Amino acid sequence: MILDAKRVRRYFGWAFDTTRETHLRTLSDVPLFKGLGRKLLRKLIVDLNEKKYTAGDIIFHEGESGKAVYVVLEGSVKIIKKSKSEHRTIAVLGPGSHFGEIALIGNCPRIATALAEEDSLLLIMYKSYFDNLIRGNSAISSRILLNLAGILSAYIHRQDLFHSSNQPE
Amino acid sequence: MNEEKRTGSALLADLREHHSQTPRWVLLLLALGAAAVVASRITHLIIMLIAAAVIAYVFSSVIIAFERLGIKRSVAVILLFVLLGVFMMGADLIFIPHLKQEIMHAYAKFPEFSAQIQDTLLLIAEQSAERYPVIQSSMIRLVEYVFGPKGFLERTLNASEILTQVKPFIMAPILVPFFVFFLLKDWPGVIKRVMDWVPASYVETTISVIAEINILVGKYLRGLVAECVSVGVLASGGLWLSGINYPIVLGILSGVANIIPYFGPVVGCTASALVALVQYRSFDPVVNVIVLYIAIRLLDDLVIQPLMIGKSVHLHPMLLVVTLIVGERLFGIMGMILGVPVVTAAQRTVAILLEHHRETLRREAAGSFVKEHLAKAPIRPI
Repeated sequence: MILDAKRVRRYFGWAFDTTRETHLRTLSDVPLFKGLGRKLLRKLIVDLNEKKYTAGDIIFHEGESGKAVYVVLEGSVKIIKKSKSEHRTIAVLGPGSHFGEIALIGNCPRIATALAEEDSLLLIMYKSYFDNLIRGNSAISSRILLNLAGILSAYIHRQDLFHSSNQPE
Repeated sequence: MNEEKRTGSALLADLREHHSQTPRWVLLLLALGAAAVVASRITHLIIMLIAAAVIAYVFSSVIIAFERLGIKRSVAVILLFVLLGVFMMGADLIFIPHLKQEIMHAYAKFPEFSAQIQDTLLLIAEQSAERYPVIQSSMIRLVEYVFGPKGFLERTLNASEILTQVKPFIMAPILVPFFVFFLLKDWPGVIKRVMDWVPASYVETTISVIAEINILVGKYLRGLVAECVSVGVLASGGLWLSGINYPIVLGILSGVANIIPYFGPVVGCTASALVALVQYRSFDPVVNVIVLYIAIRLLDDLVIQPLMIGKSVHLHPMLLVVTLIVGERLFGIMGMILGVPVVTAAQRTVAILLEHHRETLRREAAGSFVKEHLAKAPIRPI
């Protein structure tokens, strides 16, 4: 082939978006997007938005309608669940982690609150862009939905283990 | 002194209270009124901005396709402009000479053509005088209104009138591409600004609404342009095959008129039928033209629209008529043409905003209902 991608990138490197390439590498390690090739990831990445949150910013509240999924690029995010009268931290997520993925399935309410523990940079994917993208692309939708099913089954499994280990003998 | 201070702060508090008591709708009406006054002073600039926004929406999908190849947005916009330049040069070599020839021919033949139409219409009026005197009188009135001295055609096609209409748009070939360039290049920057400006916990809902509007309006505008191009090409090809004069000009007219639902297709069909009538001086080719336009209409309704635009997003006929009248009053013919897509897009935007508002209210109501019931009858472990 006369025009191979590597040669084009070597001569026209200035024309390519390096920030997106960095995001691409981060996304390929995120469990939700596992198995998507670079070509499919590139389609996905165009619709993502980047936002900086300062320490203490609430990203979303528990009970709100979920409309986006988040990927942590820098910093850390605390996931807090309200139980009875107290707030319990159920996870602290670092770079490469994702949260809020249930929003991709439907307009489900958020099951926990997300709070920026320190100054953080997040990638945000909105459900409407995701729906628009997968409408004509079964390769992306089937892979992400499979990953999502895997993540949810892992949650259920963890919950079962947690409950069984807490049961009195 | 202290009392004076207290009086001052009390006055300030009174003012704040008075300000907070002013109903929001009054402020909104005042803002809308001020915006209308400013808009009436800069109508031509607004038309150019609206045209640029529509063009930017149409080509945004091309930019996204470039970005999906990993190309920077600014480079993608430059590439698009280069491609459009090449396309226009190609069109200038192949298509424009034919169009120019048709326009020059039509312009030269116009007085003769106009006289022929008048004669034909008066002949029809004369023939139907005995049986239908109402038709005769209406036909004569129509001829006077359209072709008579100071009639519609003389007013519209008057050289000085055309110059007055076109003069404010003399900068459009430079300004519109300029606006399109920056709208395409800086749109993600605008979204980023909004994201920085909105409080962190509202970002998700705000950008989600913007994304939804962006997708729907973009889809509608791209679909509309694709539909108009398809109708224009079909009409042009059909007229050319039927041997009717000026197929390119009539095709463009049919395509552009198609933006206006209900009336647009009638305008395109009537113009082509009149050309056929004058050219052949017989009703058979007119029937052919009408059949052609009916076939295009059916194809548009059953195939092109569902494929390009998706579910129907047309304006209600009443709203359409109001849009056409207001558009014509404010911005002339351009206002009539651009008003329809702008109001349709605005209608979709309002629908999305109302849907989000309703969803929030539903969720709040459901939340308070659950809380109320939990308080009355706490759930017991099974």
